[in-house]
Amino acid sequence: MKTSLTSNRALIAFLGVVLVFLLGTLIIPGFGSVFSVRAMLILASLLAIAALGQTLVMILGGIDLSIPFVIGFANVVFASLYGSGTPALVALLMVIVVAACIGAISGGLSAALSIHPLIVTLGVGTLVQAGVQMWTRGLPTGSAPPFVNEFVSLGGTIGPLPFPWLIPFTLMLTLGCFFVLQRTVYGRRLYALGSNLKAAELALVRPVSMWMTTFALSAVFAAFAGILLLGFTGSSSATVGTPYLFQTVSAVVIGGTALIGGRGGFPGTVAGAIVLVELRTLLIGLGLSEALVQSALGLLILALVAAYGRDQHIRNLI
Amino acid sequence: MSDENIVLRYDNLVLSAGRKPLSGVIRAGEIAGVAGLEGHGQEQFLLALAGLGRSRDGSVTVEGGTAGSARYKDHYEAARNGVVYLPRDRRATGIFPVLSVLDNFAIPSMPRFSFAGILDRKRLKQELSSYTDFLSIRYPSADASISALSGGNQQKVLLARLLALKPRVMLLNDPTRGVDLNTRLKFYEAFRKLAAENGIALVILSSEIEEILQLCHTVSIFRDFECSSVLDRTSMTMDRVMAAMFGQEGGHP
Amino acid sequence: MSTAPKTSSKPAFWARNETRLAAILFVVLIVINAVLNPVRFSPGNWLTVLGLAAPLLLATLATTLPFLAGRGSIDVSVGPLMGLINVIIIKVLMGDAGISSPWVIIPAALLLGIASGVINGFLAAVLRIQPIVATLATYLIYSGLALSILPSPSGSVPSWLADFAGPLSFIPVSLIIVAWLLFKRLPLYDLLMAVGSDDRTAYTAGVNVPAVRFLSYVFGGLIAGMAALALTALIGSGDPNIGPGYTLIAVAAAALGGVSLAGGIGGLAAAFIGAADIFLLQNMLTSFNVSTFVLQAAYGIVLVLAVCLNSEKLKARFQIWMESR
Repeated sequence: MKTSLTSNRALIAFLGVVLVFLLGTLIIPGFGSVFSVRAMLILASLLAIAALGQTLVMILGGIDLSIPFVIGFANVVFASLYGSGTPALVALLMVIVVAACIGAISGGLSAALSIHPLIVTLGVGTLVQAGVQMWTRGLPTGSAPPFVNEFVSLGGTIGPLPFPWLIPFTLMLTLGCFFVLQRTVYGRRLYALGSNLKAAELALVRPVSMWMTTFALSAVFAAFAGILLLGFTGSSSATVGTPYLFQTVSAVVIGGTALIGGRGGFPGTVAGAIVLVELRTLLIGLGLSEALVQSALGLLILALVAAYGRDQHIRNLI
Repeated sequence: MSDENIVLRYDNLVLSAGRKPLSGVIRAGEIAGVAGLEGHGQEQFLLALAGLGRSRDGSVTVEGGTAGSARYKDHYEAARNGVVYLPRDRRATGIFPVLSVLDNFAIPSMPRFSFAGILDRKRLKQELSSYTDFLSIRYPSADASISALSGGNQQKVLLARLLALKPRVMLLNDPTRGVDLNTRLKFYEAFRKLAAENGIALVILSSEIEEILQLCHTVSIFRDFECSSVLDRTSMTMDRVMAAMFGQEGGHP
Repeated sequence: MSTAPKTSSKPAFWARNETRLAAILFVVLIVINAVLNPVRFSPGNWLTVLGLAAPLLLATLATTLPFLAGRGSIDVSVGPLMGLINVIIIKVLMGDAGISSPWVIIPAALLLGIASGVINGFLAAVLRIQPIVATLATYLIYSGLALSILPSPSGSVPSWLADFAGPLSFIPVSLIIVAWLLFKRLPLYDLLMAVGSDDRTAYTAGVNVPAVRFLSYVFGGLIAGMAALALTALIGSGDPNIGPGYTLIAVAAAALGGVSLAGGIGGLAAAFIGAADIFLLQNMLTSFNVSTFVLQAAYGIVLVLAVCLNSEKLKARFQIWMESR
């Protein structure tokens, strides 16, 4: 029963969240403090939002390498538009629309011409980043509106609650995404197309429009993450998204979504994002250098995926 | 039969470069068999009718639909006009192994059971159960994985999938392939009912002549990407079908 | 293994569909570069140019090998591996151990490359971790290790190694060409192409598919080891930051050259031409004195355009369109 297997994978990821948390509180003083938990949740939320689109794309059997570039694009362009007097909501809308177009182009080209999305998104992403750099001449300006800062602030509170709005927002997003994937035509067809392209085409699913929609959504959420990151870091940078290239893929995979398509879901990705952030915090708390943290994360990703994310043997594919 | 019964008209279908073009009609309630030795164009014929072919000059037209007669250029338009296709290879092009019975049943007809993109699962389940008895599909629950079903039951789900599209013409590519005898007889019964009671036209490509003899009103036999002969109920015998398949009998009888 | 399907003999690379576009681009770029920069591209400087291009040429071929094996096989760790071998040569072998003999350093670099190939191959083909995830993890591990071994650029290379980027620059590349030509004569090459085009059929025909995939990573690793030597020769020092950048460029170059990411299509010629295109493009734009952003934009455009024009589906659609007129 493969459907239960995927939910099991997400469950394992959530179990991982709990285990790593317990481990952290045991060996690092202050790991479980309100401040530290809040910081981890904020970082994990930002990663999860950036990885939402990657999850959808991977359910489809693709991969989106343009996420970090779109994050950088949104980060810089939103700051610059807002800085030059555009109302925040208008700026937001403009950035989201352009991002959606960028994603739709990548998805459309990949599906219509059957080119591997890895190459297309890499090329389109590079182009986007170059465009942004040329536009700003490498010197991005502007800043985030205060409400965005507040939304993601490390010191943010909602009344008596000790966390910023980002946390409940991410929670709502998770529930919303779960609903869309389970209970809408788009969601079910996404799994169908990801699990069997030919069958889906014959079952009246339109691959090109599905790919365009999905990659557009991916870019929209990447852009959204880029704007939130602007609020988090305070100043804009075209390369702010760089770490998100591999982190989104890792979060999705740890969360139990298989790259071969047709399986997985967003709750798992959220768990994957939390695990990644927890592990990072844990390793830094242990006194490892940034470089060794990276290596150790690589090892841990391998261990996690080897434990429950392995592909089928070729003999089972015949 | 009168012209009023025509549901599908095909003109000038060329199945392979340089071959004689095919034209003809399919009538409501008709069960038309399609046969031939493997790879002699019968599959291309079925695909062309389904809107999946690549014939340049040919055309397929649905007659007497809600919008009068309609030509279609792809299988999406075909399905919208009530012409649906059951693929041959269930595993490669039929089922979605990771999805539930309900999803497998509903993927193409989902828009009809949704509001603003949100699925009405209750209506979907009702729709599925309305075919469950008719086709006697056996499954643990609508949310069980399709992979848990036997091949015959998977095939029945695929058939229900087509029926949920409210078809006027069903193009079935070897529908009883890899299905046990009992289930096969169930299928025949269902096909006859669909044709007789619902007036659906069925075009059945079969690799078993026995099946065609039992089921079909007419059979078109393909040889070298041309329709070499058409036999009706009275002239349809194992020997004549075989002879036509091997090209020992040319032209129409 | 004897019943494996043989790949049919292919026409020469310039006549092959998938590489033709890259080959045309190559000729155009060579001409433009020679006109723009006659001194640099004069015959006397060819070896220097080859030395400049060698790391990318070899990195692209190293990336190409797993691609050939199909079903998502990919090695994104090639770049960081080159960086890791670079700092190991400079810091560990030459700095700490004081070894500078080519008879130690060259085999060491190649062995490190092979070791990485064994690790990646084991993870991807034997453990069956999705290749992009497996090699992504080794990407992180290698780049982290490189930074820990040598946190900032330093060191220098012995003259024999520096010559590998100058008068002797033909050595690393020609060694790999020879190795490739030998490899093509092995039954393994046919098995690899068979697995890449259709692994199920190959498996049914008795091919040990995981073993073939595994070996594609190992051979790729060996070539990456040579790429690391060429890189070390070129930069003349140890630099932990320069390697990872090669990964995406090499993937792009392979795709540009017509290597199919789905497996079974491509080889040395495709990889080298794709890499040469990117190298020449880089050179051309640099001599126009444009900003790195324009350079980046040009990469993006060339990459997207090239893979689109190379698409079989586009060609098929074009053909239908032509026929219908």
